[in-house]
Amino acid sequence: MSAEAAALARMVTRAGRTLPKLADPGAPLLDVSDLRVRFSLAKGGLTAVDGVSFRLDDGEALGIAGESGCGKTTTALSLLQLLPSNGRIESGRVELYGIDLAKKSEAAMTRYRWREISIVFQGAMNALNPVRRVRDQIAEPIIVRLGVSEESAGRRALELLDLVGIPMQRGGAYPHELSGGMRQRAMIAMALACNPAIVIGDEPTTALDVMVQAQILALLESLRWELGLSLILITHDLSVIAETCDKVMIMYAGRVAEEGPVSRVFTAPRHPYTQALLRAFPNIRADRRTLDVIPGNLPDLRDPPPGCRFAPRCPFAMDVCRVVTPPEVTMSDGVRVACHLYPNHDAAIVEPAPIAQVGADAPVDDVVPPADNSNLRDVDDDTPPDEIQP
Amino acid sequence: MTARAPVTGEVAAEVFTRRARAERWRLRARRLRSVLRQFARQRSGVIGVLIIGLFTICALFPEQLVGPFETVTRASGEKFEPPSLTHILGTDELGRDVLNLVVHGSRISMSIGLMATIITVAIGAVIGIVAGFVGGRPDTFLMRITDFFLILPTFVLALVLAPILRELLGESSEFFGIRVTLLVIIVVIGITSWASTARIIRSQTLSIRERAYIDRARVIGASARHIMRRHILPNVLSLIVANTVLVFAGAVLIETTLSFVGLGDQLAPSWGQILAFAQASGAPGIGAWWYTASPGIAIVLVVLSFTLVGNALDSILNPKLAGRR
Amino acid sequence: MGSRFLARRLGQAILTILFVLVVNFILFRSLPGSPERILLRGTRISAQALEIQRERWGLNDPLLPIDVQIDDEGIRLVGFPASLIDNQLVAYIGSLAQLDLGLSFQFRGRDVADVIAEKLPPTLLLFGLGEIIAIFVGLGLGALAGWRRGRPSDYIGTSLSLVLYSMPYFWLGMILLIIFAATLHWFPTTGMITPGADFDNPIDQVMDVARHLVLPVTTVALGLIGAYSLLMRSAVTEVLSEDYVQTARAKGLKGDRVLRAHVLPNAMLPAITLVAINLGYIVAGAITVEQVYSWPGLGTLTVDALRTRDYPMMSGIFLVLSISVVLANFAADMLYGVLDPRVRT
Repeated sequence: MSAEAAALARMVTRAGRTLPKLADPGAPLLDVSDLRVRFSLAKGGLTAVDGVSFRLDDGEALGIAGESGCGKTTTALSLLQLLPSNGRIESGRVELYGIDLAKKSEAAMTRYRWREISIVFQGAMNALNPVRRVRDQIAEPIIVRLGVSEESAGRRALELLDLVGIPMQRGGAYPHELSGGMRQRAMIAMALACNPAIVIGDEPTTALDVMVQAQILALLESLRWELGLSLILITHDLSVIAETCDKVMIMYAGRVAEEGPVSRVFTAPRHPYTQALLRAFPNIRADRRTLDVIPGNLPDLRDPPPGCRFAPRCPFAMDVCRVVTPPEVTMSDGVRVACHLYPNHDAAIVEPAPIAQVGADAPVDDVVPPADNSNLRDVDDDTPPDEIQP
Repeated sequence: MTARAPVTGEVAAEVFTRRARAERWRLRARRLRSVLRQFARQRSGVIGVLIIGLFTICALFPEQLVGPFETVTRASGEKFEPPSLTHILGTDELGRDVLNLVVHGSRISMSIGLMATIITVAIGAVIGIVAGFVGGRPDTFLMRITDFFLILPTFVLALVLAPILRELLGESSEFFGIRVTLLVIIVVIGITSWASTARIIRSQTLSIRERAYIDRARVIGASARHIMRRHILPNVLSLIVANTVLVFAGAVLIETTLSFVGLGDQLAPSWGQILAFAQASGAPGIGAWWYTASPGIAIVLVVLSFTLVGNALDSILNPKLAGRR
Repeated sequence: MGSRFLARRLGQAILTILFVLVVNFILFRSLPGSPERILLRGTRISAQALEIQRERWGLNDPLLPIDVQIDDEGIRLVGFPASLIDNQLVAYIGSLAQLDLGLSFQFRGRDVADVIAEKLPPTLLLFGLGEIIAIFVGLGLGALAGWRRGRPSDYIGTSLSLVLYSMPYFWLGMILLIIFAATLHWFPTTGMITPGADFDNPIDQVMDVARHLVLPVTTVALGLIGAYSLLMRSAVTEVLSEDYVQTARAKGLKGDRVLRAHVLPNAMLPAITLVAINLGYIVAGAITVEQVYSWPGLGTLTVDALRTRDYPMMSGIFLVLSISVVLANFAADMLYGVLDPRVRT
C-alpha cells in the first residue's frame, strides 16, 4: 500500500466514523508502547506482558502469534482493561487516536469498549449469554451504547446477522440452538454492532473444525475490506496470520521477539524463535500441534531467567544472552527484532543452521534449516555468533 | 531357563509393586503435607479447628473440667440464678449449674453428631461409589432413591421415624451401651441425610472411572469390588473427608432440633435437650437469658466451626472448586 | 416449554408422592399392635363401628399387593395374590384420596384432615411472609456479596450469613423473644392473637395479629436469609467466571447492567433449584419456630402429636408436608423451565 493510498484509507475511515472526544486526528489509530501487565498471585506475582510495543494503522490487520501463555491474549485484554481482577497494567501507554487508555478509570473505560475496540472471543458457546436471544445480545450494545431505540436496534441486529451470513429468521434463536460456526458468526456480528475502529479476534477459529475455520476467516477478510476495519488477530496458528494479516508480531514469554510485515517475517525470519515456529509449519496448513517440536518449555514467568527468555531453548544462545536482555532493534527493512544476533539495523540474517558448541539445553539435532531459504538476503555470516557483543 | 523365568518375573513384579506402593505412600504423604500447608493459610479454617479442639476437650474431659454431671438431687444452686462467680453461666429451673450442663452436653451432642455423621457418610459413599462405578440400571435405581431423599423433607421423615423406631425397639432398652433414645436419633439422622453425599461422591466416581488406570486394572482382571476399594475409594477419599466435616455440622443441627421437639434423652441431655428444658421451664418468657444463650452459643460455635473447616477443606480438596476463590 | 421436560418432571413428582405414600404406609403399619389400635387409640367406638372402619381401611385383606415369605433366608417375593386391589395398601391410598387420614387420638377422635386444615392457614401466613422476605433480602444480599467478592461488604455479609446459617431457628426465636418481648416488651411473647381480647373492629384484630406476627416472621426470615444469601453468593461467583460476563464487560456495559442483564438471569437458575431443595429443611425450622412462639399452626400441632404419640396425626402431617414440598419442587422445576431456554427443547 503506497503512502498515498494509506492516507486516503485513513481519511475515509476517519471521516466515516466519529472520533471520540479528545482524539488527535493526526495520531495513529493505536499505538501501544512499553506495556507491562502484572498479575498478583497468592505468593508473589508474575509479569505476563513485559514491555510490549506495537502500532496499528487504519485498515491494517496485525497478527499476534506465540505459544499459549506467551501473553498474547493478556496483551489484547489489557487494551480494554478487561484483565482478571488480579491483573493490572503496571506501566506503559495504550494510545487510541492519541488518547491514553491505560490511564483510564473503569468508568471512563466503558466509553471506549465496543465503540472503538470490540473483541471476538474464542469459543462463542461460552462467550454468548445462554439465556438471551442472539438478536437481543447483538442489539444490546446498540441500545445501551449508541442510545438507539429498541426497535431500530433490533432491526440493525438482524441486518448485522445477514451481513455475517446468518438468515435473519434465526435471530430469535438462543445460542445453544446454533452450530459452532453460526455462534462465531453471531459473535462477529455482535462485535460489529457499534461500528468499531478495531476488532480484536482472540483465537476466533480455534474451537471450530477446519471447514468452518476457513469460512470464518473468509468472512473476517471480506468484512475487513467491506467495512475498512482494522484487525488484531490473536492465534497460535501462523497459517491464519499468513492468510489474513499485513503485519505479524511474534511474542515469547511476555515480550516481543519479532515484529514486521508478514511478507518479510515469514519469508526471512530473523529471531531464532520465529525460525523455529515457522519450521514447525513445513506446510502452512499443517496441524498446529506440531508446534511441540520446539524443544523445552516456556520459562516460568514467576521467576523468569535473566537475559533473553528464549536463551534456554535457543540453538544460538551465547553467554551474553543469559545475562543481558536483548534490546529491540528495527532493521533496515522495517522488521523489529529483539535478539543479540542482530545488534544493529543492518546485521545480516543468521542462518538457522546447527552450530557446534551451542550451550543450550536443546538437542542440536532438532534444529534443521528451513526448507525454503532461497529468498533470504545476502547471508555473509563472517562474525561467529559467540563474538557478537551487545 | 523356562522354569526360572516366571520366578524372576514374579520377583521383579514383587519388587516393582513394593516400590510402586512405597512411591504411592510418599506421594500421599507429600499431598497431605501440601493440603495442610494450604489449610494453614486459610484463617477461618484454622479458627474453626481451634474452636472444635476446645469443644472436643470439653467432650472428652467434662468431669475434670466442671465436676460430675449435676442432677436434680445434686443441684448446686438455687433455681434461675443469674450468672455469678459461683455459677458463671447461672443456674436452671432446678438449680443446676448451666456451665456444668453445657460442658457435659458437649459430650452428648458431639458424640451423637459424630456417630450420625459416620452412618450418613458410609451410606452416602457406598451408594455413590457403587452407582457411579456400576452405572446402568443400578445407577438409575439408586439415583432415583437418592432424589427422593433429596426432595423429601427428611427432617419430617426423621420426626415420624424416631418415635416409631423407639416403640419398635422398646423405650428403655440399650444397644451397644447406648441408650435407645440416643441410638434412635443417631440412626434416624444417618438414614435420612445421606443423599447429598451420595450425589457428590457419585459424580466424582464417574470422572475417576474414565481414567486410564481403571481400564488397566480391568484389563488385568481385577474384580469390580477390588477396583472400587483399591482405586476409586482412595481417589474419592479427600472429597469424603471434606464432606464428612460439613455433614457433621448438619448432624449437630438436626440432633439439636430433634431434641428440642421432644425426641431427646432427658437423662443424657444434649445441647438441644437443654434448650428444650429451657423452653419448657418458660425461661425465655421470664428473661433467663443465660439459660437459653449458653447452649445456643455452643451450638452456633460448633456448627459454624465445622462449616468453616468444611468449606476450607472443600476449596482445597474438591476438584470442582480448586483454583477458584 | 417443551412438553417432554414437563412430562418428565410431572412423572417424577407423581412417583415421589407415591413413594411418600408407600413409606408412610409401611412406617405406620409396622408399629406393634393391630392397625386399628393405633388408628383408633383413645376413641370410644362400638364393635359395629369398629367393623365398619376395618372394612373401610381394608384391614381384613392382606397388607401388600405381593405375597412375601419371611424365614431364615430373608424376605422373598413368592408371588402375587389373586386380587391386586383387595389389600391394605390400595385401601389406604383409596381412603387418602377421600381425604380420610384417620382419627386423631389427641383431639378425641376428630378427623385428622379437619384438624390439619384448621391449622394450615396460620402456618401458611407465617411461612409465606417469612419466605417472601427471605427470598428478596437473602438473594439480594447474596448477589451483592458475590458481585463484590473479596471486598469488606462481602466479608461482613458472608460472615453474618454463615452465623445465621449455623443457628437453629428456634434458638434465634428464643433470643429474639427474650430481647424484644420479655425484656423490651415491644411485642407479645406468644400466640397469634391476644387471648380474651374483644375487638371493636376488624382493623384492630388485624393489627393484633400483625403484632404477634413480627417476631416469628423475623425469625423465619433471618434463618432463611443466611442460607439463601450463601447459595446466591456462590451462584453469582460461579457465573462471574463465565466468558459471557467478560463479553458483557467488553461491550462497555456499566456494572449494574452487567449484573442485572447477564449475571442475575444466569445465577437465578441454580438458585431456584437450591431454594426448592432447601424447602425440606425449612419445614424443620417451621416446626420449631411455631413451638417457641406457641403459634397455633402445623408446627405446634406436630410437636403436640409427638408428645402424645398421636400416630394418625403424625402420619397425616408427614403426608401433607411431604406432598407440599414435592409440589413446591415441581413448581420450581416449571419456573426453571420458563427461565432457561436450554431445558425447553
